[in-house]
Amino acid sequence: MTGLVSAVGVAPLADPLREGQEEHRGVGLPAAAADAAAPSPVRSTDVVRRSTEVKRSFFGDLAEIFRELWEFRDLVHQLTLRDIRVRYTQAVMGFAWAIFAPMLVVLSGLLIRYALAHASGRQVSMAAIGATALKAVPWSFFSGALNLATASLISNKSLITKLYFPREAIPLATVLAQTKDLGVAFAVLAIILPFLGLTVSINLLWVPLLVLLLLTYTLACAVFLSCANLFYRDVKYVVQLLLTFGIFLTPIFFEPQAYGPIGARLLMLNPLAPIIEGLRLAVIDGRTLLEPVFEVNRRGVSILVWSPWHLLYSAVWAVGGLLVGLRLFRRVTYVFAEYV
Amino acid sequence: MAEPGIVFDRVWKKFRRGEVHDSLRDLIPAMARRMLGRAVPSADTLGRREFWALTDVSFEVKPGEALGIIGANGAGKSTVLKTLNGILRPTRGYCELRGRPGSLIEISAGFHHDLSGRQNVFLQGAIMGMKSRDIARKFDQIVEFSGIGDAIDTPVKRYSSGMNARLGFAIAAHLDPDVLIIDEVLAVGDLSFQDRAFGRIKELATSGIPVVLVSHQLERVSTLCTQALLLEKGRVAHRGTPEECIAAYVSSTRQGEVDEDAPVRITDLQVSTPLPLRSGERLRYRIRGVVSEGAGERYDPFLVRVRSARSGKVVFSTLGQNCGLTCPPPGEFEADVELQFNVGGGIYTIETGVNDTARKKDLVRGPFTHIQVASGTTFTGVVQMNPAMRVVQHHATSDTSATDDGADPAAHVYEAKVRHAGRA
Repeated sequence: MTGLVSAVGVAPLADPLREGQEEHRGVGLPAAAADAAAPSPVRSTDVVRRSTEVKRSFFGDLAEIFRELWEFRDLVHQLTLRDIRVRYTQAVMGFAWAIFAPMLVVLSGLLIRYALAHASGRQVSMAAIGATALKAVPWSFFSGALNLATASLISNKSLITKLYFPREAIPLATVLAQTKDLGVAFAVLAIILPFLGLTVSINLLWVPLLVLLLLTYTLACAVFLSCANLFYRDVKYVVQLLLTFGIFLTPIFFEPQAYGPIGARLLMLNPLAPIIEGLRLAVIDGRTLLEPVFEVNRRGVSILVWSPWHLLYSAVWAVGGLLVGLRLFRRVTYVFAEYV
Repeated sequence: MAEPGIVFDRVWKKFRRGEVHDSLRDLIPAMARRMLGRAVPSADTLGRREFWALTDVSFEVKPGEALGIIGANGAGKSTVLKTLNGILRPTRGYCELRGRPGSLIEISAGFHHDLSGRQNVFLQGAIMGMKSRDIARKFDQIVEFSGIGDAIDTPVKRYSSGMNARLGFAIAAHLDPDVLIIDEVLAVGDLSFQDRAFGRIKELATSGIPVVLVSHQLERVSTLCTQALLLEKGRVAHRGTPEECIAAYVSSTRQGEVDEDAPVRITDLQVSTPLPLRSGERLRYRIRGVVSEGAGERYDPFLVRVRSARSGKVVFSTLGQNCGLTCPPPGEFEADVELQFNVGGGIYTIETGVNDTARKKDLVRGPFTHIQVASGTTFTGVVQMNPAMRVVQHHATSDTSATDDGADPAAHVYEAKVRHAGRA
């Protein structure tokens, strides 16, 4: 094709008409000379986007991710707002949704506790009801956020195939949108817990740290699962199943000691367990999380239900998981548009 | 700190037809293959069901330059834009975009139908990389530009598709980009909005920033761009000025349609006038053709079609019958054709062919050629209208008191009378 035009006898293209029509774009001139009226004809920029892979170290990648997320922080905010608004438009229940799921968890928890208390001939204590209510809230947040976040990349397909932005913003915003419900549920808890065995102590200060850990761990799972679900669509169903039965692998309905000495240790291997159990210890029992807690069961066996190491263990999972997840996500992000 | 710009260096992009593995069931065999070090897809070879969407495409756009990319559907235009934008990664090659990009692509892709126009402006703006603060500052301008008015607080799902597109364009038009990437959004909304939109694009495109434009509206490409690229099946088929590329594009769609078995066909086309032609001059060319036995009167082998490379559109078309010619008797024939090019400067394609006058459609297409017309500097536009003007009345400003017709004394009354001018 090259030379097609000249081959049939067209002279080199000096086209006065073109230049006449667009007098303000001098063809071939430097931009500054071409348009003196423009505010800043030649700009300089430090924003560089390379589609080609840039090899970076683990922390180099992370620095890049956080830099870009910071640059697009308004996008994370807007996506979060979108998810919240969409959830509440044309919804009959409105904010009642925020406590609906935790209430169901509490009710089923109470049923189980009641049945067991009936069998063992003991009363269900107010503190036990309070503990179930307290634990139901973070669990509902975790399972609700993960259910939505796992499918989040797929449900934002059109954005991913059409526009450029750091894709981490999508699972991030999906989880952040759920924090509104979490906040509402905690506010309700703050009202009812004083009647259900709240111990006011300095140890309530553990709550913000534990909530932060919960958020971090949820984000870590969200980043990893959303990405996995993009490549393997059945991940979503696996997650749904795990979340349905995961409630029994997390100390929600019972305290760890109910599972026996070995069971309690195994249960606390679930990174979510120390976060939720820590909440109960700090809020209901008013204990510090810096000392181990032993419980003696009816057969006189002493069971380790809490150790400060549990907290560290969860923190490692949450923070480490988030960092590894973000890097993994970023490494495969460039094929999203082809797989989604 | 660097100058804004676009570098696209020997980019190859591989795509796969059909679905890629999608369920966990496929993961295990894939991992096993990888562990055994077998069948790991390499960047250089094509696997089963794979194809190259882009093959060795290179270009560079500097400030003040505007590159138009044209080509048929599936030629790889969108792949180029998506790679530029960082949505796709090249299989091979290097792609760099320096500067904050303003992408006039999928201008309303971020809209959520349940949210109001107002909320969507902030959402879409943020997706395009604007700060909420800047959007808030420009919000009134955006709404005014879009012409949405009070409907801005109505959910977008109640919008017509035109309103949707107008709002999307208005947001994109208020980006303050270092680099501009435009894809096929020029035809948005009604006529007055299109003018406004094109005006804004032109304003942005001529502000001295690097521009890449993909469009099927060839006229817009030649108006906006300083250079162009013709893509064909992922390859750069032609590179040059917009008009050269449009001419090459238009001719490429004409190729391969010469039917050797047709009863009448044109075999050759020779231009005898020296080129380039000046506007107003006559072009003379000779065609040769063959008429088979029993071809009949219904075929007219003197089809003339002149196409402007600026727009790809036909500017003139006629048949031999309009000049008193009918189909010659069987055998070979030669004919001379003369055309007066009262047209604006640019490249024109002369197409020949045979028309089936009974069915009023082209039987075969013949050879074609491109010619260059220089308009001189006396006019712009597409047609030479040979203007004539004269002043018939003049009231000087110095003589303000002595007006005889009571009109505004300071007015300069000019009247341009256009004579119907034959050529001198």
